[in-house]
Amino acid sequence: MNRSALRAAVVIAAVYGHFLIFAQFAFVELLRIGGVSGAAEIVVLGTMAAAGVAGGFLAAWCGATPTGVRWALGVAGLSAALAPWVGGMAGALGVAVATGGALGVATVSLAALLPGWCGVAWVGLGTGLGYGCCNVPWVFTQTPAGQAWVAVGFAGVGLLAVPQGVAWRGSGRVAVFSWWGALGLFAALVWLDSAAFFIIQHVPDLKAGTWGDGLLWRNAGVHFAVAVGAGWWLARSGARVLPVVAWGLLAVAALAVDVAATRSLAGWGYPAGVSLYATALVAWPGWFTGADGPRSAAWQAARLFSVAGWLASANGIGMAQSLNRVPPIFVVAAGLVVIGVAVFSNKNPSLPAVMLTHFKRNRSLMAVAAVAVTVAVGFGRGKPPTQTAAARGRQVYLAEGCIHCHSQYVRPGSPDEAVWGAARAVDEALAGVPVLIGNRRQGPDLATVGARRSAAWLHAHFLNPQQLVPGSPMPSYAPLFADGRGEALIAYLQSTAIGWVNTCAGKAADWFPSKTATAGTPADGLRLFARLCSACHGEGGRGDGPLAAVLSKPPANLAAGPFLWTAGADSLELRISRVVKFGLPGTDMAGHEVLSDGEVLALTDYVRHLRKP
Amino acid sequence: MDGGTSKPAGDGVGTAGCHALGWLVVGNAVGLYLALLLVWPALQVGEWTYGRLVPVHLNIQLYGWTALPLVAWLLHIYEVDRSKAAAWAPAAVWAWSAALALGVLHWLAGMTSGKVFLDWQDGALWGFVAAMLVLWLVLVVAWRERAAGWSAERKSLARYGLFVLAAVPAGLVHAASPAAYPPVDVTTGGPSGASLLGSTLVVVVLLLLLPRAGAATGNGRAGWGVWTYLANCWLIFGAAEWIGGTHWQFHQIGAMLLLLPWAMLLPWDWAAFVWPAGTRRWRLAVFGWWALLVISGVTMYLPVLLDRIKFTQALVGHTHLAMAGFTTSFCALVLVAVGGRSLGSWRWVAAWHGSVWVMIGVLAAMGWREGGEFSWMTLPAGWRSAGLHLRAACGGVMLATSMVWLKNWRKS
Repeated sequence: MNRSALRAAVVIAAVYGHFLIFAQFAFVELLRIGGVSGAAEIVVLGTMAAAGVAGGFLAAWCGATPTGVRWALGVAGLSAALAPWVGGMAGALGVAVATGGALGVATVSLAALLPGWCGVAWVGLGTGLGYGCCNVPWVFTQTPAGQAWVAVGFAGVGLLAVPQGVAWRGSGRVAVFSWWGALGLFAALVWLDSAAFFIIQHVPDLKAGTWGDGLLWRNAGVHFAVAVGAGWWLARSGARVLPVVAWGLLAVAALAVDVAATRSLAGWGYPAGVSLYATALVAWPGWFTGADGPRSAAWQAARLFSVAGWLASANGIGMAQSLNRVPPIFVVAAGLVVIGVAVFSNKNPSLPAVMLTHFKRNRSLMAVAAVAVTVAVGFGRGKPPTQTAAARGRQVYLAEGCIHCHSQYVRPGSPDEAVWGAARAVDEALAGVPVLIGNRRQGPDLATVGARRSAAWLHAHFLNPQQLVPGSPMPSYAPLFADGRGEALIAYLQSTAIGWVNTCAGKAADWFPSKTATAGTPADGLRLFARLCSACHGEGGRGDGPLAAVLSKPPANLAAGPFLWTAGADSLELRISRVVKFGLPGTDMAGHEVLSDGEVLALTDYVRHLRKP
Repeated sequence: MDGGTSKPAGDGVGTAGCHALGWLVVGNAVGLYLALLLVWPALQVGEWTYGRLVPVHLNIQLYGWTALPLVAWLLHIYEVDRSKAAAWAPAAVWAWSAALALGVLHWLAGMTSGKVFLDWQDGALWGFVAAMLVLWLVLVVAWRERAAGWSAERKSLARYGLFVLAAVPAGLVHAASPAAYPPVDVTTGGPSGASLLGSTLVVVVLLLLLPRAGAATGNGRAGWGVWTYLANCWLIFGAAEWIGGTHWQFHQIGAMLLLLPWAMLLPWDWAAFVWPAGTRRWRLAVFGWWALLVISGVTMYLPVLLDRIKFTQALVGHTHLAMAGFTTSFCALVLVAVGGRSLGSWRWVAAWHGSVWVMIGVLAAMGWREGGEFSWMTLPAGWRSAGLHLRAACGGVMLATSMVWLKNWRKS
């Protein structure tokens, strides 16, 4: 294990982590919390950018050293620690100058020193770690103050990890693009990324579909995997093609995010594109500009990071301020610059020659690319628009794989009918496209669930299945209710049972427990009541369970009454048993269809016991 | 079948084996995670629920672990590694894996057709078709070069094979369409006996082809009687499928009973071939599982029995018998026979088969209980919890074994 390289990767991760989670994120939120917004916010952020540019050129002028990196990380950590405590414009400007200046010194010094510490592949590992850590839910969802402390942690770890000494290896590196070409290329990528990020971050539906709750682990994984891959690719002559691929991924993401059907694609493409170019951006000054030592690499880094890093980022965000979609013209403009540089600013050999060589050497990569392009072209085609909530809910039923745990087929003449309802005509079961009969039951059949369970019950069950069915293996589907999918799914489940309410009620009225069934002990009834009934009816049966408030009508007070369902010619025991077994179709009272007759009778005895004065 | 003695210029077969085993590892890891989710639902990460991961597991096992050994077999048959298309053989395998990987992203994102084992739609479908096209082109290029040295009969058969393979993408597009659905047994909601016969006959054909198309030398014992029986099976399949019916009707049960002789006919046929070294244990495993699969499949289709176990873990157990038992043994045999490499010591092979045995037994017992009482759905029973734990433990052994196999394949 190359310890110096590993330390270098940790420092990269620390600097990226601090920059992403604090300078780009938490600091802006802290400003707003402190009342610094609007024009004042722009002044503060502009000051931070100016300090960053100044810090970068200062590092280049003084010379990049490990000590300089340590000092810069120390100041960056200190400014993050102070940020939650300072108030007013003066304090904000102080933090902005300290943060910008420290990050300017740290980034330029680091980029210049890296070739002396590690190979270019390690840059991918460091970048991936930095981006990955920032997308870990615990970090991403922290309060701004909490994120500032995370940034302090990043700075501290980075400070301790800075390797000793500099042993710049090799000389005579060849510039991949001219310096102005690299400047324009990375400026275009950062500009497009910043604009797209700002728009997605501030438009709720775009944010929910790309890096909303539940997607953060995925994003962390994509960032890490792609950045590591980018390092590997850069180490294998990928520098000429990588920026174009990064633009392609960002372009696909920026265009896909505008359409609901393809929005999830953006969630994959955006972090992948960002990680590709972010890795290249760190590595570029040291490995791909023709720099022959830390000093010349530092000047290259100062130039590149000031224009591409600070100015392009600010410009991209500024131009996106009033937009709620990523304009295609942004994508095209960035593409013209990136591809133009890749084609015309290339040192010999030319891009076509390089691509031909790549093609011959990397047939597998080309074959994979052909498949990927085919997938991208075919993406989202042929999908019928879904208009009604029930139709959208059917799509959700499919997407969530409900079919792998639930059937929608009551077998005629089988015990299914006694539990799940009467069998439908097979033509009706086969009418849907696709057919949703299913082949496995980890849970109940859902063919007539809409008649057996109310919308309110289904909603509560989707949020926390174990509250209604303790020990159920069904996961929570709470995220579905953040964007309307949950409501659509309930609409679909309810629609499958149109006309079945009366059938279910009639079946309940005709049911009698087996004559051989025995009720068991009172303890059995208590245990069943606590497990299956208390969530709604409360432990004492007074209708005050924790779920009572979410039902459309308060649950019955079983200790008091009177009860609508007590009317009728049959005995009270039988009528209670029928409600226990089948619920009250059309109301929130759910049945317990799968209980044995003995268990139903035990519950019946317990409920009767509750009614006694 | 040996079309030449020159050293292969490429390693398409080796790459296909590597990818197949790699997918087996991934598929087993997902399977283990699914087993754990049934025990501890809180292990779920984000929106990657059990329902979204099931198609990932199923499709990786079918289109990764099961299909890629068949790709290796095709590359071997058409001598791609000895042709000028050799450099493109690994590329074709990579394209296949890329299509599957992109399919995985689709399924994880909730883009699914709901068609179990045929879950290709949208961009993923066309990506998979593109991968098949790349493979087909590689085979064509190799055939054009290598066929010059083949016998007229082999050359013709290889040409017809290319025609058949050319139709596969169209068949997949049709079969994967949500609008296409096979005949249903109205009493179970599942496939008819004829449908089960038809899908199993495809496996019979593959088993008859394997030693005759590159995996062994010599001649088998199957004569006109066997081939006529095979043709009759297909005819009866067509008739019974057309008539339809349920598992209570004689012609559907009879269709299933036609499978029983194949439990004996195939090993009898294979015994006369000369097989490469290192394949014996896998041939024994193939026919051990095959006999169990056929006999249990026919038995489980019988009235009353099927009514009890339908929709239960018992059928999941039977699927594992088919995939983890029989198919895995068959795929391993194909790889060892055409790749000339080893998967490792008998201990790991025994560990695999042992854990599959235990898993199937546990699932069968659980399924029998589930079919007799529904209350486990609301009152989790101790027997079910114990069964799920045991199943997960078996999954852990299978994952470890597949990792060892992958390592050994890469080393050998």
